Amino acid sequence: MKGKRQKAEGKNQRRGRHPLCLLPFAFCLLFSLIALPARAQTVLPEDQMYQIAKQLNCPTCAGRNLADCPTDTCTQWKQEIVSQLKDGKSGDEVLTYFRGRFGDQVLQEPPKEGFTLLMWVVPVLAAAVLVVVALLAARRASSRNRKSANLPTASSNQATPANSYETELEQQVKDAS
Amino acid sequence: MTVTPDAKPDAPARSRLLTVAGVAILVVALVALALVALGLAGQRGARPTAGMPAPDFDLPMYANYENGLGQQIKLSDLRGKVVIINFWASWCVPCKDEAPALEAIAQKYADRDVVMLGINYLDVERDALAFLATYGVSYGNGVDLQQRISKAYRITGVPETFIIDQQGVVREVFIQPITELQLSATLDNLLN
Repeated sequence: MKGKRQKAEGKNQRRGRHPLCLLPFAFCLLFSLIALPARAQTVLPEDQMYQIAKQLNCPTCAGRNLADCPTDTCTQWKQEIVSQLKDGKSGDEVLTYFRGRFGDQVLQEPPKEGFTLLMWVVPVLAAAVLVVVALLAARRASSRNRKSANLPTASSNQATPANSYETELEQQVKDAS
Repeated sequence: MTVTPDAKPDAPARSRLLTVAGVAILVVALVALALVALGLAGQRGARPTAGMPAPDFDLPMYANYENGLGQQIKLSDLRGKVVIINFWASWCVPCKDEAPALEAIAQKYADRDVVMLGINYLDVERDALAFLATYGVSYGNGVDLQQRISKAYRITGVPETFIIDQQGVVREVFIQPITELQLSATLDNLLN
């Protein structure tokens, strides 16, 4: 029995060391978790290309953005973006190149300047005017309602001809009874 | 309860505001309509066809493809010569098919007051230059910056070829890959 107990204690002691043995693994896990976001922050030229291509139009398919278009033209344009990024150009510089070479219509969003600025301003202005008009109309309607609700109360303070007739009639009925 | 004393004096002010808002809506609507009309006007217009004056343009030339015409050429400066303008792109398969015919014609009529101009459409320079090198193009080639020339000529794709006579009038339009025979026939007719 004693021998068995000693063996079991020995096993427990050995088992007790296990958490310490796992410490290096825990450190490895911790470091890899710390390293993960850093790795995610590293932007590859292909990822940056995708971000830029999302802002450009496919030149041959109407309404489609460059990033999602598999045509030969778009493939060439995407390769050009990657190549310019690898040459050290920034995303803005690449966009400027495409805009300069192919015009404003290459951009998914019209630039907020010059004549195209109107395209941005007019809808916002129209929406603002509509909101103001709607608010004014609502205020006007509520003021009208308030006025009509107030009328009987106001008239009750001053005897209108119809009201005085009713009062007189009520008085006569009372007197007769 | 009594009637709000400020209800009456506010009414004309509100009505004035409503009138101003109404006018503002009208103005905004008119501006929007004008914008749409301008956009539509920009899209209107027909492709220059035989007998119509060729729209003038400035063409920035690719380095090593100026062909003695300078870094930037103006179509109107080429009056007195027959000008062949060919819209092309490196990604366009039919453009590859017609490239040898165009080069052959350019060489055949080089000393007969014929100017061949390649206009590179919607293309990146690297691929365009690779195309020119691959097909051994020697005639003048430039880039259609911001698609100004292709818009003026109302092209609907590539390749398209316009033949312009000595007076700057369009004489033939090819909305397809061109053959050496077709070009020769038109040029001989214009030169004789």
